[in-house]
Amino acid sequence: MIKNILYAFRYDPPGIRKALFWEWLHGSLIAAPSGILLLIIWELFKESPDLRTIWTTLGVMGGLFLMQLYVARKAMMASNQSTYEMSRRLRLALGNKLQRLSLGYYKKRDPGDLASVVLQDVGNFENIFGHSVTNIANALFGTFMISLFLLWLDWRLAVTLILAIVIGVPLIQLSKRLVEKYGKQQIAARNATGSRFLEYVQGIQPIKSYGMTGERFQSLDLALDSLRRESIKTEAIPGPVVLTVGVLFEVFFVLMIWLGLYLLAGGTVTSAVLIAFLILGYRLYEPMKILMVEYPVLSYMNVSLNRMIDVLEAPEQEAGQGEHPSTYDIEFVQVGFRYVDDQPVLTDVSFRASAGTMTALVGPSGSGKTTITSLIARFWDVQQGKISIGGINVQDMAPATVYSLISEVFQEVYLFNDSIYHNIQIGNAQASEEQIMAAAKKAQVLEFAQSLPEGLGTFVGEGGSKLSGGQKQRISIARALLKDAPIVLLDEATASLDPENEIYIQQAIEALVKDKTVIVIAHKLSTVQQADQIIVLNNGKIAESGRHEVLLSQEGLYYRLWNTQQRASGWKIEKNLKTA
Amino acid sequence: MEKKKKDGIARLLEIAGRRKYQLALSGLLAILHAALALVPYILVYYIIKELIDPPIDTEQVQSYLLWAVGAGVGSYALLYASGMASHVAAFNILYELRKQTAAKLGQLPLGFITTYSSGALKKIVADDIERIENFIAHQIPDFVKGIALPLVTIIYLFYVDWRLAAISFVPLLVLAIWIPLMFRADYTKEMMKKYHQAQEDMNSGIVEFVRAMPVMKIFTQTADSFRQYSNSVNEYAAMSIQWMRKSSPPFAVFMSFISNATLPVLVLGTYLYLQNGITFATLILFLMLGVGYIKPVFALANMGMQITLINRGVQRMDDILQQPIQTGIQGSAHFSEYTIKFRNVSFSYTEGLKVLDQTSFTIPAGSITALVGPSGAGKSTAAQLVARFWDVQEGEILIGGINIQSVPVEELMREVSFVFQDSFMFQETIYENIRMGMDKTESEIMAAAKAAQCHTFISQLPNGYQTRFGERGVHLSGGEQQRIQLARAILKDAPILILDEATAFSDPENEYLIQQAFSRLIQDKTVIIIAHRLSTITDADQIVVFDQGRVVATGTHPELLKQSPLYTQMWKAHMRAKDFELSTSTQKSIKV
Repeated sequence: MIKNILYAFRYDPPGIRKALFWEWLHGSLIAAPSGILLLIIWELFKESPDLRTIWTTLGVMGGLFLMQLYVARKAMMASNQSTYEMSRRLRLALGNKLQRLSLGYYKKRDPGDLASVVLQDVGNFENIFGHSVTNIANALFGTFMISLFLLWLDWRLAVTLILAIVIGVPLIQLSKRLVEKYGKQQIAARNATGSRFLEYVQGIQPIKSYGMTGERFQSLDLALDSLRRESIKTEAIPGPVVLTVGVLFEVFFVLMIWLGLYLLAGGTVTSAVLIAFLILGYRLYEPMKILMVEYPVLSYMNVSLNRMIDVLEAPEQEAGQGEHPSTYDIEFVQVGFRYVDDQPVLTDVSFRASAGTMTALVGPSGSGKTTITSLIARFWDVQQGKISIGGINVQDMAPATVYSLISEVFQEVYLFNDSIYHNIQIGNAQASEEQIMAAAKKAQVLEFAQSLPEGLGTFVGEGGSKLSGGQKQRISIARALLKDAPIVLLDEATASLDPENEIYIQQAIEALVKDKTVIVIAHKLSTVQQADQIIVLNNGKIAESGRHEVLLSQEGLYYRLWNTQQRASGWKIEKNLKTA
Repeated sequence: MEKKKKDGIARLLEIAGRRKYQLALSGLLAILHAALALVPYILVYYIIKELIDPPIDTEQVQSYLLWAVGAGVGSYALLYASGMASHVAAFNILYELRKQTAAKLGQLPLGFITTYSSGALKKIVADDIERIENFIAHQIPDFVKGIALPLVTIIYLFYVDWRLAAISFVPLLVLAIWIPLMFRADYTKEMMKKYHQAQEDMNSGIVEFVRAMPVMKIFTQTADSFRQYSNSVNEYAAMSIQWMRKSSPPFAVFMSFISNATLPVLVLGTYLYLQNGITFATLILFLMLGVGYIKPVFALANMGMQITLINRGVQRMDDILQQPIQTGIQGSAHFSEYTIKFRNVSFSYTEGLKVLDQTSFTIPAGSITALVGPSGAGKSTAAQLVARFWDVQEGEILIGGINIQSVPVEELMREVSFVFQDSFMFQETIYENIRMGMDKTESEIMAAAKAAQCHTFISQLPNGYQTRFGERGVHLSGGEQQRIQLARAILKDAPILILDEATAFSDPENEYLIQQAFSRLIQDKTVIIIAHRLSTITDADQIVVFDQGRVVATGTHPELLKQSPLYTQMWKAHMRAKDFELSTSTQKSIKV
């Protein structure tokens, strides 16, 4: 945990130093009244108290109060300012890092989760750090100062009091371990409840339609009940250990008094010293109690810090040597690839897609079609073999260079909550209005935008929620048209996402692929009959490749896939069974 | 349901009221804890009395010490008991609320649930309800303690010496006046607003920045989006620092008062002691106790903020709990036949935007009726209304002459099967996933699986029908899950069937098998098909054409080609789309 906090400190060393100085000063001022109190009490305890000393000391206390007004403000500002500064720099560092991570990283991680690192985790740090660390620093400082003072007054009594802390620390450790142990069970129960509940909600339609509400509800109820019991256990079991620490403090305080009275009788300690211990003894334990409260808060912050550091330290892609290709043939040479700790997805894949031609990837689901397109775009780097564009290894190009050569039309489309016009403009920030209008027209965006109240100026809503799947798809094709990259990666299934509007998407795609190097993932084989090359994949290997007619004549996997699809495509819904 | 909707603290107390006895016990124990916690201080006071007035009565002092230990142990035991009572109450309440919310979700119209994402619902049940724990388990006892401790202390102090007790109030009074002033100032409100605005801007900026990052990378515009992002981050940091600068002086006053709260007591106490008005022990007692109650009181001030946070969650929960449920008359589902009739049905999800507008049409029993139309025309909504996913707002839907609004949803569901695009699998065996709680024999289940073209792939699973779905390595493709869904529907054999035709095309690799299963399923049923690809439904007994919430034509395929311009236009577009072929060459090739 300390390592993580020091990691965060790196983001604003001067601010932290300033904050520590003022916090230390403020801590001393917080402790000062206890000392002054003691001075006055001692003076009063004397046979003939010196009035001048007393009123002067009171005056000093008043002066310190005024001083604290200033110092408290300084300390608060310094520590908060540096907390905000660290958070700001952490957010910028995270933002910077996010730009440099590979696209594959974004495929692996849920974007909502990633956003919450920048949002909630930095927020947690910001909220907890300024307040908690100050408290803890003051508490540790306070305990230390009071201990020193008491040791100086009488070491025997002081050691008795400090002994409670020494015995208490392992107990606190134990309670921490208990909290962790039962907390884990509670978290497991919570996760189980979560998945039961999700199953109940996501499956509510079949549950209701098969009259299973009672049965399914019962299994959810069981999970909820076990969560209730685990939660109570998590509170009940570590509790006594924590409270034992409190009892321990009480007992040792009494022991100290008992010892004090004994020493007093023996004449080795004065009443004045004993009274000082009676007053200050309890204060020695106050900071410890604060620590016990603040520690879990700090562990919570530590979890957030860990998540941030994970992102900040995630490996980046090699930037390459800044080469630019001048032609756009794509070549795979004996490519082997696996995702981290996983089965190989591609083995020994070699093929060449010449510039300006269309290559179709076909094969059963999971055969590696999507992985091939992802590798061309350098979402990931291959483990074996190499992929080149125009004769240059993609790993020798900066990722940004690779992206600039490629347009993608896949099933997921990200739209900004902005106008249709601006969403198309993303494709090329320098494009003129005429170019944008032309792209909108070619991609059949105008076809639906015309009937919208504000045409291309219409806002698309959060994530494009106001548009249908096919409409979003056409905007993404318009973007790609505007970008006019020489290579197009395409998922043919996007055309059938919105069956009512299939024809428009098809026309948009037709406009996009003209004269480009095209790699298309094909599901409906009839769509790619005209492809210059069809690559048939099976289990991550190339089973066969060639033109449609050639593959059919070979009567292999492609032939079988083709025949099944031909049978399916003539299908009609009828009463009497006469399909097949 | 007619109960007045409560919110804020009132609603939270209403929730807490479910366990009022446990909470009262917790409060009582908290008060006793507060009282006992004072005892050691008081005993120290007596011990000091002995010390300054020798000879010391050792026996007396030792009994004081024993009492102190006893009181210490007792006060901690009471604290634990109080905490447990409130936590047990809290966790029981959470359990009840979660159960109640889940039960309610089961009673609401199916359509209602689809208006939420499952993640949002989970957040309500898991996180929002969890927050209530804080209020019940911590804030209520803390509140009682925050009131009880000062009260017990003050009563005791007044009993010992009223003058010093009175002056120990000074810091409390000053702060009581100071704090509201500090928060009421106009600039504070203005700044708060600006601060929250900056925070919201940054938050949405961050979410968009992260979500859009893949797109921005592809279009090599990361520099631009980073500039916007860093602007919002900087803006927020600047705002925070500005806000903190304004709020730190009052805070400094607060801190300084707290740590110097002894000052008034010390001054007056010294004066009184020197005048022989009080004993030395009394002075010490006041110095120890006279200011200790301030902090708990101000901990109360923090409650307000916490409660706002909890309330937002409670409101989201109440939104669900207060939804009207669907009603019906038990035992009214006696259908003699299954003709489905829409009579002037109007429906809208949000007020003013009619999805269906005065629709009337009839689906003859035992027929296949296809609903077609452009996206958003209302065909899916119409199909869902038949199963009471929603209740119609105007008009009525009749099945065999009975208004479905009078039929309880569970009873209606027995008569209807669905096959939609998203098939849901439970974390159970494949066998149970097909059986779905129905009273069927093993051979019936196998027969359904065979008819749905599932048998072959199920037999290849490690444990056949007894393989648990979702277990390590056992996952089914989308098409296989579709076929399980079809097997369920075949097994259920309900007289009415509602199908989304797109299901048959959701998995190109297995299209043919799914289509075969489909054909098996629709035998001898009253079938409603939500159709997207017109070529599949040309043989339907009846096709209902929707446009903008209205039925614009009804008839068979050949009839509609003659009568309906919209249908003809859709048909032509579909025929062209069907023959789509990709090519990079400029010359377009059309398959002949």
